[in-house]
Amino acid sequence: MNFLIQILSWNRFDKVLLIALFGLMTFGLLFVYSATYNNELFSSSSLIKQPYFKQGIFYLMGLIIAFALCLKDYNQIARWAYVFYWLNITMLTLVLIPGIGSIRYGARRWFDLGFTQFQPSEMAKVAFVLALAQFLSRPRRELSDSKVLLKGIGLAMLPFALILMEPDLGTSLMILPTGLVMMYVAGAPWGFMKKLLGGATILTGLALAYVFFVPNEWKPIRLPDHQKRRLMVYFGVDYAKHYAGPNATNTEISRARALQKQDSYNVVQAMISVGSGGLTGKGWKNGIQNTYGYLPRGVAHNDFIFSVIAEESGFIGSTVVVLLYGTIIAVGIRTAIRSRDRLGRILAMGVVTMMFLHVFVNIGMNIRMVPVTGLPLPLLSSGGSSVICSLAALGLLQNIKLYQKTI
Amino acid sequence: MDNSLDKPKTDKRVYATGAVIGIGITLLLIGLWYVQVATALVYINDQEIQSMRTVRVPAVRGSILDKHGRPIAQDTPTFVVNAYLEELRPHFREEWKRSRPAKSLSAAESRQLEIQVRYRVVKRFLEMLQLDQQIAISRKKMESHFTNQRALPLPVITGLSITNVARFAENSWKVPGLELEATPKRMYPSLSTAHLTGHLKRYNYRAKEELPYNYRLPDYSGKVGLEKMFNQYLCGQPGTRAVQVNNLGYRQGESTPVASQPGSNVVLTLDMTIQNATMNALEKGLKKCGAKAGSAIVMDVNSGDITAMVSAPVFDPNKFTPGISHALWNQYLTNRPSPLLFRATQERYPPGSIFKIISGLAALENGLNPEERIESTGSFRIGKRSIKDTASPGLYDFKRAFKKSSNYYFIHQAVVEGHGKEHLVQMGKQFHLGEKTGLLPQQETSGQFPSIKRVRDGWSEGDTANLCIGQGEITVTPLQMTLMTSAIANGGTIYHPRLVDRIQSPNPNFKENTIRFPRAQKRSQLLIKRPDSLKIIREAMFADVAEEEGTGQPAMIPDYNICGKTGTAEVKKPGDFHKITWFVSFAPFEKPKYAVVVMVERGVSGGKTCAPIAKEIYEALISQKRNGSIAGK
Repeated sequence: MNFLIQILSWNRFDKVLLIALFGLMTFGLLFVYSATYNNELFSSSSLIKQPYFKQGIFYLMGLIIAFALCLKDYNQIARWAYVFYWLNITMLTLVLIPGIGSIRYGARRWFDLGFTQFQPSEMAKVAFVLALAQFLSRPRRELSDSKVLLKGIGLAMLPFALILMEPDLGTSLMILPTGLVMMYVAGAPWGFMKKLLGGATILTGLALAYVFFVPNEWKPIRLPDHQKRRLMVYFGVDYAKHYAGPNATNTEISRARALQKQDSYNVVQAMISVGSGGLTGKGWKNGIQNTYGYLPRGVAHNDFIFSVIAEESGFIGSTVVVLLYGTIIAVGIRTAIRSRDRLGRILAMGVVTMMFLHVFVNIGMNIRMVPVTGLPLPLLSSGGSSVICSLAALGLLQNIKLYQKTI
Repeated sequence: MDNSLDKPKTDKRVYATGAVIGIGITLLLIGLWYVQVATALVYINDQEIQSMRTVRVPAVRGSILDKHGRPIAQDTPTFVVNAYLEELRPHFREEWKRSRPAKSLSAAESRQLEIQVRYRVVKRFLEMLQLDQQIAISRKKMESHFTNQRALPLPVITGLSITNVARFAENSWKVPGLELEATPKRMYPSLSTAHLTGHLKRYNYRAKEELPYNYRLPDYSGKVGLEKMFNQYLCGQPGTRAVQVNNLGYRQGESTPVASQPGSNVVLTLDMTIQNATMNALEKGLKKCGAKAGSAIVMDVNSGDITAMVSAPVFDPNKFTPGISHALWNQYLTNRPSPLLFRATQERYPPGSIFKIISGLAALENGLNPEERIESTGSFRIGKRSIKDTASPGLYDFKRAFKKSSNYYFIHQAVVEGHGKEHLVQMGKQFHLGEKTGLLPQQETSGQFPSIKRVRDGWSEGDTANLCIGQGEITVTPLQMTLMTSAIANGGTIYHPRLVDRIQSPNPNFKENTIRFPRAQKRSQLLIKRPDSLKIIREAMFADVAEEEGTGQPAMIPDYNICGKTGTAEVKKPGDFHKITWFVSFAPFEKPKYAVVVMVERGVSGGKTCAPIAKEIYEALISQKRNGSIAGK
């Protein structure tokens, strides 16, 4: 017991991290409430089923897990990294099997646990970061060996491919850059990094060219249509030209236009939400976009929670949110710098990168900086898997700080 | 040991990663600033466009009042049951769930069912109110309301009776989404003013609109009459209501950024007591002789103020809001005599013997000795034609000739003694015959009267003979004759007739905005060479009513000295022979105050048909004066 008190004593926790964390959780509770309080889906259900209440429970559970993760030195935890990793790979495989994984919004991503649903890809992200950190923490010179590096890439490709098959493009795309950054930080040779980056860039370019410029009938593999259309919305491609061709009839053109309007609806409404919030916002619970249903009710409290925050608290509020994330990230980077061992440093940077990518992509899609992908905003979006796993990852970050070797 | 760090190199890479992340966060902040601050107005505007519907709300129309402030035309509340769709929505949904069949529906079928469901819900709720008025909106209309103006309440029953208003108040707690609301409707309590006020017509905003409203509530503007002439004052300023709608177009809230400004009131010189009495007297008189059309005017001889002005038959201006039926409108258009014609100013009639006032005055001015007697043979020969006289043969001086309306005497003066032709025409011109009075520009005719040039060239003695007894090339309006009579009564002043006293704000505190139309505006003054001429005419008119042999005797009232002149003009058209009968008069003889002119189409004679009508009007004037003095006015 004394031992517990000693390591968990208040003084040893990073207070800046805690303040930022609680700040974000406060935002989360307030705006999940604001986004759902007049949603007819929830208005008649009991308190337990209210998203804001569930969010509170998830925060609590996440915090407990985060604390639990601080009980043991991360070096000890990391020994279990591969076990945890393969456990997650198993789950990612299982979820793809019809009858085990359940389908929502046309994708097989969830285990239905009855009282709630569990999304294995959220946990897999943490497992991947932990496993790759453990893998890369080997002596630096070993990283000159391309076999080792390719193994590392394999560690990333496996969850990437499985998540992509659900399909969940957004989540799977978080894996690769995170892996890249972790390899870079771990000290992979510069030449290798250049090749990797160059290859990724060329591949992305080729993929985009394939999607947009190769006629559909020539394609052996087709991107799911909705993903392609999301890209078209992002790049502002005119549906009428793309789908209907030059000698299309008026009905074909108008049908294509209607489809375009429908596809760009979410992002257009998100932009209106964010923009109309102005400098100071419309006030809590006063967001018109959300209350009047222009922002689709299905996404307002999860993937598009930032729209609600931005509309109701304005530029000031969204800046505070971004800066709170910035604070957490800064704490993470400082932890990485101060870390005296490779595992701590790589793990910290992995968590930081993962967090940053989520924040950047999610907020970016609200202001059309990045294409729309179904990605939660860590800690703010309503949803148990995401909240708990984000808190667990931050628990690991705190752990690194707690058990840093002080030489 | 293996796990230890080779510090410098990896540190650099962490810093580099941190820097990239820092740039990313900065980019996010810049992006947010751009959207939320730099270009926020674009999105605020977009949001307004998608969630705001502006509604043009017409102002309450100003009233038209009589001189004592009694309403002639007025917006009065009528009750409407409005269905608030956003409140009914949950019930629509419930009903939809209940009536949805097991099999899946095609889009068209589902839409059809949706409409049925909505209609059924509204109908059922209405039945719960236990009114004896049924839903007054078709399924089709309801559907179009849903498609086009879902944000607005749907009026399901209009024109609720008082009993139903009470029932609604009693039962409304049972049903959601239905509200009782008052909307103004134009009411004209008396039909006697129909032609004066005119009527309204649905306002056509498409042609000329100031603001791009999403919706417009029905508004009306004056089509004819005073409603049209003073439309810009009566109509007020429309207001704007902003309705906030959700993504499905249902109303979520509303505000009134611009309140409507009620229109001004137009106060007339009319006295509704006299106006109604005049109408009653005219209609009674018409009935007695089987005639259908006529007109009567009461005017203040000392100012030109019109106290009453009626025309029969009438139309019902109440029927024009919210819209007149085709059947009724066609009836108005095709009925003869036309109810749309304002006979006081809009139709020309031969004056007949009432014109002897002018031919008499012309002769007197030209040196006729009123005492001189002339032997009448009973018919006057001009060329091959002989003009019959209804007055018996015998000796006539001016007064006897006037009161018995001797054609022989007046034709003799005009043709033989040379008082006709140019003298006559000049005298007629002095009374502005052949000119419009300007009282109701759109409902007025000028009548006809020969010019000096006309009588100098190709004018026969027969024409003079016709003209001097008010036949031939002369037509007049009852209003022109009223002005003529007034000028005789008041000593030769011709006033501009006045119908509108002032335009005033509906708010009694805003007195300074009142626009006044000054009374007693002189149009001209008769040029009289012999000071006695008018007096002689007045005395002759007095004799016509008060003395034996006078044609106007049926108008006589004991102790009230009425002066008058009857007229019976013959209209010969192929297959149609009829008489236009007149009685022009003023009273009292000692100190003239009122001119009363009565004209009846197809009457028996001026004395028999019109004089009794005038008498009744005078009785109304007398009794009102008596009541007024009792009331201390």
